[in-house]
Amino acid sequence: MAEKLREQQAIPVSKVQRAAKFISTGAKVGGNYVKHYAKKMVNPSMDKEELHSNNASDIYNSLSELKGSALKVAQMMSMDKNLLPRAYQDKFTMAQYSAPPLSYPLVVKTFQKHFGKTPEGIFESFTRSAINAASIGQVHQATKDGKKLAVKIQYPGVADSVSSDLKLVRPFALRLLNMNERELDHYMAEVEEKLLEETDYVLEIERSREISSECGHIPNLKFPIYYDEYSSDRIITMDWIDGKHLKEWLETNPSQKSKNQIGQALWDFYHHQVHNLKKVHADPHPGNFIVQEGDQLGIIDFGCVKVIPEDFYEGYFALIKKDLLIKEEELNQIFYNLEFISDKDTAEEQVYFKGVFKEMISLLGKPFHVDRFDFADDGFFERIFQLGDRISNDKMFKKSRQARGSRHGLYINRTYFGLYNLLNQLQAEVDTTKPEWLK
Amino acid sequence: MESATTKKTAKKDFRKLILEGYKNHVLEHGTAPKSVFKFAKDLKMKEEEFYAYFTSFDSIKSAVWIQIYEDTISQIESQEVFKEYSAREKFLSFLFTWIEELKKNRSFLLSIYGEGSKGMLSLPKEISDFKDKFKDFANEIILEGKETEEIATRPIISDRYDEAMWLQVWFVFKYWLDDRSPRFEKTDAAIEKSVNLAFDLMGKSALDSFLDFAKFIYQSK
Ligand SMILES: Nc1ncnc2c1ncn2[C@@H]1O[C@H](COP(=O)(O)OP(=O)(O)OP(=O)(O)O)[C@@H](O)[C@H]1O
Ligand SMILES: [Mg+2]
Repeated sequence: MAEKLREQQAIPVSKVQRAAKFISTGAKVGGNYVKHYAKKMVNPSMDKEELHSNNASDIYNSLSELKGSALKVAQMMSMDKNLLPRAYQDKFTMAQYSAPPLSYPLVVKTFQKHFGKTPEGIFESFTRSAINAASIGQVHQATKDGKKLAVKIQYPGVADSVSSDLKLVRPFALRLLNMNERELDHYMAEVEEKLLEETDYVLEIERSREISSECGHIPNLKFPIYYDEYSSDRIITMDWIDGKHLKEWLETNPSQKSKNQIGQALWDFYHHQVHNLKKVHADPHPGNFIVQEGDQLGIIDFGCVKVIPEDFYEGYFALIKKDLLIKEEELNQIFYNLEFISDKDTAEEQVYFKGVFKEMISLLGKPFHVDRFDFADDGFFERIFQLGDRISNDKMFKKSRQARGSRHGLYINRTYFGLYNLLNQLQAEVDTTKPEWLK
Repeated sequence: MESATTKKTAKKDFRKLILEGYKNHVLEHGTAPKSVFKFAKDLKMKEEEFYAYFTSFDSIKSAVWIQIYEDTISQIESQEVFKEYSAREKFLSFLFTWIEELKKNRSFLLSIYGEGSKGMLSLPKEISDFKDKFKDFANEIILEGKETEEIATRPIISDRYDEAMWLQVWFVFKYWLDDRSPRFEKTDAAIEKSVNLAFDLMGKSALDSFLDFAKFIYQSK
């Protein structure tokens, strides 16, 4: 027990992670936008004392075993930029690159397997090395009929190792997230399913097309066209989206008006998906958006799409409503359906958890309670962190031996976290539209 | 004149008949034929006719390996980019293409080498012709790699590089025999990773600086 406590205290819990924790355990697993955090992971200003070095090396050891999809899960799960001391940073960066880019002969072979032709046989030009490396594949640039194209190629064997990689990540997840086994298993199935989907490029194209055609009317959004004849379950060919990644773009000091325009496009994009399509691009991390000339937002990477079941949708957003005018009974039912409380809870626990989740959701729902919300308001994020702090230190949560929050919540929370984070990075003020029934 | 050509084609067909007959026998029975006599009889030929083309069953297996090798080489040489490849890429390209050729004979190879392949420590003797040919190919790559300084020249060790590359070929073969992943994607990954490691080791590295330094210390004692 003492050992356990020491561990828990020694693993630093950053603000973001704390925030995630309280948004239900689901968010702990899912809510991370620090996917590419390896390089930025270490806060140089961090006090060494904060980190028990034994623990750090243990965590590093688990991390270094990770590869491919396991790395992706770890990235997804880690809400924490301050996790490792600088000394481990380099090691970890190396671990991330333990999958070096595909050699050109393998690219050729993959093309031959899927199309019976070499890249040169298909395109007018094709870059010999990748322009961008992603976690499960790499992106080349090609041209055909005067068009610039992006060709994404998946590393071989990734799909096949998802399940075994997830087993690898378990001990790490248990430790880092301070979850118990039951809680973890509750979500692993969902994560595994989604990861497997991410490796299916045919499905990705299908969904990209579906969502981009259904969102085509939203102002200031740009979607690439996808080309079936040069795509397969391991290769995706689409239009090249010229422009800058969000971060690069922000470095050019865009005007507030521009930032609001991009922010609004983002909000509208998510509004339409969540409330009308009931399926959502559930991976809002900065690498998946490109800002183009004229403040247009290019959207790539539909690898992770979450379909929102109707009853989950109703329960979840009913709680976000400004004035919770729902009768106690109804509210109980919603909490029950969302798996925030269960039959196994004592009466005392039920009251406590209902209170906590109500508080948390009303805070998360803040942007929905007004017509226009300024995401530059760090105070809002600060309050989320503080509540997270309070809850994660509460003994009721520590004692609880149950997973809380439905597995669908995992990706929906992750999506909203990501969206809020992006909007905060943008320092954007947006019209926070909502469906009629939520007003 | 006329008869000479017919005889020649007939001869060729005989060789092919034996090769195919042998493969079919292995595929259908899961084992090699019991004896040359029995095998020749099944093919409706005399035993001595068999010996005009092959000296033993092993020499048939050897011919299969050579065929696979030669098909691989003509495949990669037909690719435009091959000439532009670095030594590392050439070796990768060879292995990726070779695996595709092996695939066409997978059941046959599994029947012969699949069972107990883990115990296959020493090299089956029918492989040696293929090994010799491969080493010629490997030495061309190594020579080229040394010219471009992709591969470091080291005393004694660098004479064994061809052997090291051969061991890698054999490793890949055994890995592929056990591979159950769709499209043998895991073998692709194994090729990629092992070749990268090998070339990193053969390339100029800390090892060379170390050797150089050691030599210096030794000589200036
Ligand atoms: N159509 C495109 N036009 C321009 N750049 C692109 C395009 N598609 C991808 N990229 C570049 O490649 C990077 C990785 O692509 P993508 O996000 O699709 O890969 P991924 O395998 O899903 O990676 P991850 O899961 O890490 O996000 C992008 O961040 C972007 O820089
Ligand atoms: Mg991406």
